[in-house]
Amino acid sequence: MDVAQALVMAMQAWGMIGAVVAAAFLTIGIDRIDEDARGAYIFRPLLIPGVLLIWPIVLWRWWQIETERAAWAARYRPVRANYGLAVILMSIGIVVIVITGLSVRQTWPADIAPVQLTEGADQ
Amino acid sequence: MSVKYIPVQWNPNKWVYDAVMLAGVAAFLWVFLYITPEVLSHERPINPQIHNARAFGACAFVMLTVILCIGPAAKLDKRFLPLLYNRRHFGVMTAFVALTHAGYILNWYFAFSSSDKYVGLLYANISFGQIAGFPFEVFGIFALICLLILAATSHDFWLKFLTPPVWKRLHYLIYAAYFSVAAHVSLGILQDQQNHVFTILFIAGAGAVIVLHIAAWMSERRETAAKDGAWAEVARVGDFREGYAKIAKLANGDRVAVYLMEGKLSAISNACAHQNGPLGEGKIIDCLVTCPWHGFQYDVRSGRSPAPFTEKVPTYRVRVAGDMVEVHPDANPPGTYVEPVPLPVPAPETPEEGAMA
Repeated sequence: MDVAQALVMAMQAWGMIGAVVAAAFLTIGIDRIDEDARGAYIFRPLLIPGVLLIWPIVLWRWWQIETERAAWAARYRPVRANYGLAVILMSIGIVVIVITGLSVRQTWPADIAPVQLTEGADQ
Repeated sequence: MSVKYIPVQWNPNKWVYDAVMLAGVAAFLWVFLYITPEVLSHERPINPQIHNARAFGACAFVMLTVILCIGPAAKLDKRFLPLLYNRRHFGVMTAFVALTHAGYILNWYFAFSSSDKYVGLLYANISFGQIAGFPFEVFGIFALICLLILAATSHDFWLKFLTPPVWKRLHYLIYAAYFSVAAHVSLGILQDQQNHVFTILFIAGAGAVIVLHIAAWMSERRETAAKDGAWAEVARVGDFREGYAKIAKLANGDRVAVYLMEGKLSAISNACAHQNGPLGEGKIIDCLVTCPWHGFQYDVRSGRSPAPFTEKVPTYRVRVAGDMVEVHPDANPPGTYVEPVPLPVPAPETPEEGAMA
C-alpha cells in the first residue's frame, strides 16, 4: 500500500511540476524559440497534455534551443537504423508473452462435468 | 512557407478519413456490444460497465493493430500511403478509446474501496512473482501512458520543437506499447476465455503486425545493402522524368530526392524541414518542389524556401557514372547551393516551362 501510495503521489508531483513548466513554456518560452508560434494562441492549450507528460524533455529542448547547442546535422540524423531492433524486440516479446499466457491458461471449472469422487453419498 | 500553428489542420481528405474512422469505431462497438455477445461468451452475466470496458478495450487493440499495420503496408505497397498521411488522428482517437476502457475499469473495479481508486489499482494485485495471476494491469497502465504521450505530442509543433530524430525516437514507444498491450491481453482477458474466437482474432492481429513489420524491415535492409558504397546509386539515366524525382535510400538510412529540372539533376533531402514530409513525391513547378503533406516549397538547387520564407533542407552532390545517376551520401549544410548536373542525352521528352522563382 505504501509503495502504491508513493507511486500515486509521485505521479501527482510529476503532473504539478509539469503544470508549472507548461505555464512558463506556453506563455514565455514558446514565443522565444519558435517564430511560428508568435501570435498563435488557440493551439497552445493542445500542447498542455504533452508538456505535463514529458516536461523534462521540454525543458531540455528549450535550453538547447535558447543556447543554440544543437548541431544542424542532428536534425537530419536518420533514426531508421533503430527500426529493425525495435521490430525484433517487439516481435520476440509478443510471441513469448502470448505463448506464456496460453500455457498458464486454466480451464474454467464450469466446463467440467461434475464427477462423484466417492460413493459415500449413495450409501 | 512558415505558417502560424493552428489547432488542427483539416482538409477534405482528412474529413473523409476521420469520418470513416469514427464510423468504424462506432460500428465496432455496436457489433461488440449488441450483435456478438454469444460469440464472445458475453452471454454469461456481466454488468454493463464490464461489457463496455471490454468493448472499448477490444476496440483499442484493433485500432492499435490497424495503426501498426499501416506503416509497413505503405512501405511495401504505395497504395496504402493515403492511410499513412492522416495516421495521427487515428492515433489520437485510439488513445481516447483506450482511456475510456481504463475509465470503465477504474470506475467499476476500484471505485467502491475505502482507499483512493488509483492506489487500489496499483495495490489490488501485487503477485509479481507468478505468471498465472500476474498483475496484468501494469502492462495496460504502461501502454496507456505510451499512447497518451504519443497522442499528446502529435501536433505539428512537437515535431519541429523536438526535431525529427528525437520525436521519432519518442514515437518508437508505439512498439513498446503494442508489446505491453499484447502482455495485458495475454495475461488478462485471454486467461478467461470460454471459446476461442477472441483468442484467434487476437493472435491473428498481433501476427499481422509482426509479419508486416519484419517484411518491411527486411525489404529496407535489402535496399540499403544494395546501395552501400561511397556514392549511392539512384536510378538509370533513362528513368528520370522532367519535373519529378527519384528517391534514393542511403546506407545510413537517410533518403535523398534527385530531381530532373530543365534537363539537369539536383538532389535535396527527401525530408521536408517542416514535418519530414516526402519531398520526392512532389512535382517541380518553377524550380520549386512542393511538399505533398503541407505545401512547403523548396528550390531544388539550394534546398531553400522562396523568400520571405526561411526553411532549408540539406542538399547533396550528384554525378552521372555511365548509365547510372549517383548521389554522394554526405549531406551539405541546409540551404547550400549545388550546381545542377546535366543529364546526358537522350533529352527529356517534354521539358516543362523553366521560369525562375
